[in-house]
Amino acid sequence: MLNAIDRELLKTVADLEDLPKGAYNIRKDGKLLTRATTANIDIETYGDGKGIIVKIKPHTVNESVHIPVILSQAGLFDVVYNRFEIGEGSDVTIIAGCGIHCGGPDPEGHAGIHEFIVGKNAKVKYVEKHFATGPGKGKRTLNPGTKVFLAEGAQVEMELTQIGGVDEAHRKNELILGPSSMALVTERVMTEGEQIAESRNTIILEGAKSRANMVARSVIKGDSVQNFYAVMEAQAPAFGHIECDAIIMDRGRNETIPSLKALHPEAELSHEASIGKIAGDQLTKLMSLGLTFDEAVAKIIQGFLR
Amino acid sequence: MLELKDLSFSVPVEIDGEVQEKVIIDHLNFTFEKGKFYAITGPNGSGKTTLARLVMGIFQPTGGKILYEGQDITNLSITDRAKMGIAYSFQHPARFKGLTFRDLLSIASGTDDEEMILALLRRVGICSFSFLDLPVDAKLSGGEIKKIELATTIARNPKLAIYDEPDTGIDLWTINPMVRLLKREQLERGTTTIVVSHNRAFLEVADSVLIIVKGQIAYQGKLENALTMLSDMSVCSYRHCDKCSGEEDAECYR
Repeated sequence: MLNAIDRELLKTVADLEDLPKGAYNIRKDGKLLTRATTANIDIETYGDGKGIIVKIKPHTVNESVHIPVILSQAGLFDVVYNRFEIGEGSDVTIIAGCGIHCGGPDPEGHAGIHEFIVGKNAKVKYVEKHFATGPGKGKRTLNPGTKVFLAEGAQVEMELTQIGGVDEAHRKNELILGPSSMALVTERVMTEGEQIAESRNTIILEGAKSRANMVARSVIKGDSVQNFYAVMEAQAPAFGHIECDAIIMDRGRNETIPSLKALHPEAELSHEASIGKIAGDQLTKLMSLGLTFDEAVAKIIQGFLR
Repeated sequence: MLELKDLSFSVPVEIDGEVQEKVIIDHLNFTFEKGKFYAITGPNGSGKTTLARLVMGIFQPTGGKILYEGQDITNLSITDRAKMGIAYSFQHPARFKGLTFRDLLSIASGTDDEEMILALLRRVGICSFSFLDLPVDAKLSGGEIKKIELATTIARNPKLAIYDEPDTGIDLWTINPMVRLLKREQLERGTTTIVVSHNRAFLEVADSVLIIVKGQIAYQGKLENALTMLSDMSVCSYRHCDKCSGEEDAECYR
């Protein structure tokens, strides 16, 4: 069922050597390839096959859902709308990701909108990797969108990674946090050549004592461009922090705009942003440990994007 | 082991709109013997750190030669010198985003084997293993990052170890264990050790003390014979801070 290219893409975007344990839904070239559900996790087709609804029963713990998408059909632009309903008190991991293999001159792409309704005191770890490969010259586009609604006491940890090979990406993340909820969003993007990546984030701290931390790490190689925008808005006594760092290599360009909005006098918001080349003292230190200049650069980037 | 031959280093500076050469190291000659412990001291701005950096290859000399184990290393890179067995501990260590203490130790020692890494920690006297997976970033205290810096230097198993002000940011109670560690590395492993420091604790255990003044060696020998000279130079560790007053002695309180 899975060919060699499928396996390589799945390994890269979802760390899967074969079909995973637990619930999964693998989508290939715009169609369902295979699906499995468990007693606590149900997956239904949504609308006219353009997406899925994943329903996780309350108090489901230590279970995972894999929902990777793989594309290797030239000229296809696959659009999906997935919805996750996570029952209260659950503790689950959701592993998504999209791998594109482009073999020819025609463009391929994927736009995925993921909506998360996270129940009271539920805990979700969401891991998403985007990757494109293949010998073809076709433009590879990935436009992910994520909407997250956190009920009281809910927690989400999101790891969003674009590893390489994606020519154009426009990401949009929106989070709305209920009382005492918590969100940690880490985004890591590496671009090279003529690639373009844009990330727009809106985090609304709606409930009292909600907390959010957004960390963005960008590595911009060649002539690529990355732009990062984040708005953290506190409507209640809440805590929010944005940390965005970009390393520019070669002739890369970057625009970073963190924005803080306090609509409540007891809101605590902060940000730190930096754009620049790899610091000379970091390179000198690693070279003094025996690495060559190039090895030191690779190690620093590897750590930065970890 | 290490020979500095007519070593010079100068930098261009602009004075009254005119570019002039400022001499930092001035035709310096010295031979460091294998397995010995050297302490380099002297007033601020005398060229101590520059000298240490020239040996590691972080700065390129503007004149003279550096011979290491008989080989001319003057034009070799930092990497080449590191591979030949020279290690360097920075006064203000680099902070990374993402890389952990374990990463640095593993790069330094060339292994990521858990047992070997733990053995290294024991060797440098770091008992807290939770330290290992901490990112070496701006959140670490000055003392913590200096311990990590020292550990990565020792993890190289260097033939020649250079420590630039290893006690910066270290609390008083940690200095003596640190001195004992560097001394043990010297005695048990034959590490030729060069410590740049104002701290008397390092000077007392050195086989030889070098006083650098204006880029030249003003004294070389036992500490006992250098005390008057050091006192005259206002090297702070030799002054009683309670007698200091006024701006000229402000550095005593560092």
